[in-house]
Amino acid sequence: MNSAVRRGWRMAGAVLAMICAVALAAWAGGSGFGDDDDNSEEEGPSYFGFVRDTNGATVPDAKVTVAVKNRGGIVTRTDLLGTYKVPGFGKEVDPKDVEVSCDKPGYKQLRVVRRSTTSTDPKIPIETECTLQRI
Amino acid sequence: MRGRAIAGTILAAITAFGTFAALSGRTAAESPFGDPNAEPAPFNPQMGALMSMLIQPRHAKLGLAGSAENWPLAAYMLKELRQGFAVVSKAVPRWKGLPVPDLVDAAVSQPLTLLDFAIKLRYRRQFDEAYAGLTSGCNACHATTDHAFVVIKVPDASAFPNQEFAPKQ
Repeated sequence: MNSAVRRGWRMAGAVLAMICAVALAAWAGGSGFGDDDDNSEEEGPSYFGFVRDTNGATVPDAKVTVAVKNRGGIVTRTDLLGTYKVPGFGKEVDPKDVEVSCDKPGYKQLRVVRRSTTSTDPKIPIETECTLQRI
Repeated sequence: MRGRAIAGTILAAITAFGTFAALSGRTAAESPFGDPNAEPAPFNPQMGALMSMLIQPRHAKLGLAGSAENWPLAAYMLKELRQGFAVVSKAVPRWKGLPVPDLVDAAVSQPLTLLDFAIKLRYRRQFDEAYAGLTSGCNACHATTDHAFVVIKVPDASAFPNQEFAPKQ
């Protein structure tokens, strides 16, 4: 086999390897970059809920703390509808170790109730309602 | 020279094979919209379609009836709108994991009650305030569900040229 033919086979091999690499990436559901944020499989459930007053009315702009026992937590605020949303922590965090509390000037926290669910759908958040009482 | 020719031939063959493999999954007779010979599937509209069918037109008609002070029509459209929300909540109890009945309740229950009072009292100013509250509730819910770009407003014209909104004389 002369050198031109050997070079040809080498180039063909390189082209084939490149095509296989691209095809494999596409088959895997992505062609390289930008999928790093999609780590939903490594996340636990997200946390969602309403903050209400003692009349049942929702409370916008209340401070909500979603804390993992002995590990700190995330502070957010309720939106215009009185809801908060916090994305899931890592799967190593047991949802039983996650506590929700709420606060707003002029109010004190009265109770926190976690809604029980029978669903195992990971898309369904853990729902916790926090009730504030006017001081 | 000969080496490049071999590489080119192999590349062309692989490309042709890939194209054939991609197209072979679909026959020429098949439509991307489905098989014409399939059994009719149950109609199962999802959130976007339900909003467009049951909520948005009723919200608009309620506003048009109220601004025309056509109180019987406003009362009817309010009832229809309430039923629309009930249907949506039952048809799609969770949307992206969020509890739809709870969100609807938080967004519209209070303004719907105020609208009911305003219509019964035939009180235009209270109607306008409550209708603005209802519209804000819609937009707050859209924001909560990451659809803040869907902005609902008080209608400034009728989209129903075949319906009279002024009270019947």
